[in-house]
Amino acid sequence: MTAATLHGRAEALASTLPPLLVEAERVAAVVAQGVHGRRRVGVGESFWQFRRYEPGDPVQRIDWRQTAKRDQPFLRQLEWEAAQTVYLWRATDGGFRWRSTKSTPTKADRAGLLLLALASLLNSAGERVALLDGDSPPGLGRADLSRLAMDLQRTEAGDDSPAAALPPNRAVQAHAAMVLFSDWLAPLPAIEAALASFQSKVEHGHLVQILDPAEVDLPYAGRIRFSGFHNESALTLARVDTIRQAYQERIAAQQEGLRALARAAGWQLHIHRTDQAPERALLSVFQALAGAGAV
Amino acid sequence: MLTLGPISFLQPWLLLGLAALPVLYWLIRATPPAPRNVRFPALRLLRDLQPQEETPARTPWWLLVLRLVLVGLIIIACAGPVINPAAGLPGSGPVLLLVDNGWSAGRDWPARQAHLSRAIDAAERAGRPLLAAATAADGPGPPPTISGLMRPADARGWADQLEPRPWPADRAALMAAITEMADHGGLETLWLSDGLDDPAAADLAQTLQRLGRLTVYLPEAGDLPLVLDTPQTEGGDLVFSVRRPTAAIEGVGVVRLAGDDGRILARQPFTIAAESDGTDVRLSLPAEARNRAALATIEDLEGAGSVVLVDERWRRRPVAIVGAAPTDSSQPLLSETYYLDRALAPFAEVWYGGLDDLLERGPAVIILPDSGQVTPDEGDRLDAFLAEGGVVLRFAGPLFAANPDALVPVPLRAGDRTLTGALSWTTPQPLAPFPPESPLAGLALPDDVLIERQVLAQPGPLVNARTWARLADGTPLVTAERRQTADGTDAGWLVLVHTTAGADWSNLPLSGLFVDMLRRIVALSAGVADTTDAVALRPLSTLDGFGRLGEADAAAMPIAAGTFAETLASPTHPPGFYEAGETRRALNLSPAIGPLEPLALPPRVATQGYAIEAELDLLPLLLAAAMALAIIDLLASLALRGLLAIGPKRGATALVVALFLIPVLGNLSPAQAQGQSLSPENLALLAANGTYLAYVVTGDPEVDAISQAGLDGLSRVLTQRTAVEPEGALGVDPEYDELAFFSLLYWPITQDQPTPSADAFARLNDYLLQGGTILFDTRDAGIGRINEADLRRLTAGLDIPPLSPVAPDHVLTRAFYLLQTFPGRYADEALWVMDADETINDGVSPVIIGANDWAAAWAMDAVGNPQFTAVPGGEWQREMAFRFGINLVMYVLTGNYKADQVHVPAILERLGQ
Repeated sequence: MTAATLHGRAEALASTLPPLLVEAERVAAVVAQGVHGRRRVGVGESFWQFRRYEPGDPVQRIDWRQTAKRDQPFLRQLEWEAAQTVYLWRATDGGFRWRSTKSTPTKADRAGLLLLALASLLNSAGERVALLDGDSPPGLGRADLSRLAMDLQRTEAGDDSPAAALPPNRAVQAHAAMVLFSDWLAPLPAIEAALASFQSKVEHGHLVQILDPAEVDLPYAGRIRFSGFHNESALTLARVDTIRQAYQERIAAQQEGLRALARAAGWQLHIHRTDQAPERALLSVFQALAGAGAV
Repeated sequence: MLTLGPISFLQPWLLLGLAALPVLYWLIRATPPAPRNVRFPALRLLRDLQPQEETPARTPWWLLVLRLVLVGLIIIACAGPVINPAAGLPGSGPVLLLVDNGWSAGRDWPARQAHLSRAIDAAERAGRPLLAAATAADGPGPPPTISGLMRPADARGWADQLEPRPWPADRAALMAAITEMADHGGLETLWLSDGLDDPAAADLAQTLQRLGRLTVYLPEAGDLPLVLDTPQTEGGDLVFSVRRPTAAIEGVGVVRLAGDDGRILARQPFTIAAESDGTDVRLSLPAEARNRAALATIEDLEGAGSVVLVDERWRRRPVAIVGAAPTDSSQPLLSETYYLDRALAPFAEVWYGGLDDLLERGPAVIILPDSGQVTPDEGDRLDAFLAEGGVVLRFAGPLFAANPDALVPVPLRAGDRTLTGALSWTTPQPLAPFPPESPLAGLALPDDVLIERQVLAQPGPLVNARTWARLADGTPLVTAERRQTADGTDAGWLVLVHTTAGADWSNLPLSGLFVDMLRRIVALSAGVADTTDAVALRPLSTLDGFGRLGEADAAAMPIAAGTFAETLASPTHPPGFYEAGETRRALNLSPAIGPLEPLALPPRVATQGYAIEAELDLLPLLLAAAMALAIIDLLASLALRGLLAIGPKRGATALVVALFLIPVLGNLSPAQAQGQSLSPENLALLAANGTYLAYVVTGDPEVDAISQAGLDGLSRVLTQRTAVEPEGALGVDPEYDELAFFSLLYWPITQDQPTPSADAFARLNDYLLQGGTILFDTRDAGIGRINEADLRRLTAGLDIPPLSPVAPDHVLTRAFYLLQTFPGRYADEALWVMDADETINDGVSPVIIGANDWAAAWAMDAVGNPQFTAVPGGEWQREMAFRFGINLVMYVLTGNYKADQVHVPAILERLGQ
């Protein structure tokens, strides 16, 4: 899937949902930098207006250049901005680029689609989005979104080592939100370690587990030789149908552990199957973002 | 070679491979099916899971059987199994291939070729050299001989070039060659015989038997050759005799007489009774048709023996009139010969001259008009002529009456009798009906024929029996005497007409009866050989060994004119037509063929039939079966490994395909005769909803099937070529069916068709009045007008306008194609349509009458192959028949539109000004 088509599909998906409005008040109180110009004076980075000095204003706020031009002292006031930076990431390892049948997309494709749709929605809501493993800083606007799609395309062709199944340890802005797409099939301690570095900075974290239906149901029967993606030794099983129950229990246990892990960090876990409609997962993540007031 | 029942194995030792099957069984059984490969991301979660029950993975028993059968088939196929293998030729000496390739071999030549080829194959397998000999000479050159030792490849070349010859085999000459042949030792002979005996046959067989093994191939009793002899003329009929060796079974066939142009003149089936050696076949045909005859054949029987070439001897009888030709006279109407010439010219060749000259030329009939006394010397020569089978026809007259002579069938009174005149009480007499035993019996008597003067017969015991025609008062008008040859058999006739050949004494010569009487009398004569002045007759066209008339054989020699009658067909003079100037003579094979006897062989000679059981090599079949099993095995293996997904979707597709196939298969034999079983209401419903061509149901299933197939075929061609797209053909019965739906009604005439009732005629007349068109087809090619009476009977109640033959500028000649002829299965020229002056129905003829059996030419089977041969023109004629059909349908559908098209240039010109 080329960047352009992926981008287009993501936009189409995003357009089916109303733009997400950011709950700005809470953000305004705690977050210095923001996204939304509030069209009023406040804390922000952009220039808003010059105002005459009034008694009681802190002296440090006097804009000396303007004051020098005129007779009276002027204050330089900035626009109040309220914004959230959302970091997005999806896994790219070999196992994630797999699908069981041709009727479903690979997990990586589905994750890319969800990621871009989410980015598009966030973008139209005026949030800054960035790829966790991308080189660009969080940005705003359509151009940024396109750049993000290009970045995503680039990472898709990139690393498919087992390490790519877990998020990289990158520096992130404080109070950012984070949405991570993977199948989260790695051992739980490894996941916990990978997430630990983010926990102090990230306000709202979301894990999205994307699974192929075959990974949930294990629909195989008879004599099967299973091989992995990372030079693991193959496993030949006779009568796979007899172990389906045990396998499903293991998957459930993995998900349970994942959920516990997320809860402990104040994060949320979303589970999505590639044979389900992508809107459902998108909505779920969105609502979680909005409900938590993260955005 | 190992032989088991009908199957032989060329490489039997390979069958030992079957012994390896149990080992294979053990191997296959021990090897579990390969697991299916799946890549799986959650492999870690599966890692230490143990299936609850690990049954040993074994190949299922049916797959095991399948694979064993598969391998068994391959082993058997490699062993080279052959069904009905060519008989081996055990032994080591040379093999002599002796082939009868005379006239009798054309009948089943392909079978002989096949046997030759098999024998050569067998000899090649056995590594034996070959000798070859054919019993018929190749041509006028040396007599048949025996070849030297040949390799199989050379023998194949020899067999490919071998052809049946149109002359008798010469076994005696071959016998001589074999006697002189060097002794090769251990000679084995395969004699592909024609099953006919001749004096040398027994000797030949004994000699060959002495040299080594002899196997004789004999045709089945029903396949023995037939010979069609040259015909005899009896009255107006040609009588052919068909000969064969006596056989215990019945033989059937059809003798067909065709003209120079290939047109069929007559067909006559024959049956040879069991235990009989031949039969006579009588072909009755009009003199005009007989005069066109050129070739008589036994249908569907190849070989020179079943062909008789017909020349002038069986055609126009030379009639000699003693006297001057009428053109010499300045007042022809006063000349008796003028009337004779006019009456004879249509069916006979007329010569004039003095009696001596004419007798030299050998006529069939000599006519003596009122010529005065016949001298005793002339009388003797005429007696001799009569004894040879000639016919002498005399006419009375004033000179004859005054000079009585002895050459009369009955004694005459001197003088003559005048039936009219001032001093006579009597009136001119009409003719009485002809006595039933007279050759003239059955001729129609016109009312206005009156005899005024005649000579009278002396009453006597013989007169009554010798009278062929009488006047109404009982006096003989025509008397005749059958003359006999010296040994007492019947010979020619002496006929006397007791009145003149001119109009002096009666008006008989002015009537059509005169022509008919002369025709009957001339037909009584035997064909008499004519001669020519030329020294030699050179070959014009000759028969080949299959009985096909073609270009003259380059090696054929001319025949001296004087000896032609005695010449027998031979390699020097192959049967065929020979010509000198205007004269064309046929040299036929049958006189050269002696009595036919089945081949008598010495005892202890192996015989074999010609029926071929094709050698069937099973290798490809077995390999194909093994391949099919391999594919099944592959699919089964895939299914076992779960790689073959037969989902509900694909199952549904297969089901749909099967559902589509079932009706297709069911439709392979579509119901043809739909029109014949429809009720009038259903027929009306059908016909109103589409354009149909209609034919009249005659009640003869064969004719009706041809009509249906013919109109269906025409519909198909119309749909292909024109904007007219008929749905097909419907049969209608004018007795109760509504005809208004059809623009064209095809009506084949049969003899058994019931005459329509008054109601039906009213309905048909209504149909014609409202613009319908009926195409009547008498289907008899205009020959003999066999169905003409039935056409009259069936159309008696129809309002038919005056008809005329199709004019060259008639709309039918250009309604779609430009045509000038309208052939069907036959190519008779006459097609009758309404007079051009009539204006009913916009000038579209309500009735078109022809005789060409169009439906047979149009008839196709379900896949579009023609059902009947078009004669004489073949496929080109069929194409023209279709063009006529298209023109016809266009004509009846568009009316005079095309006729009006002629005026378009004139109208445009006028508009322009």
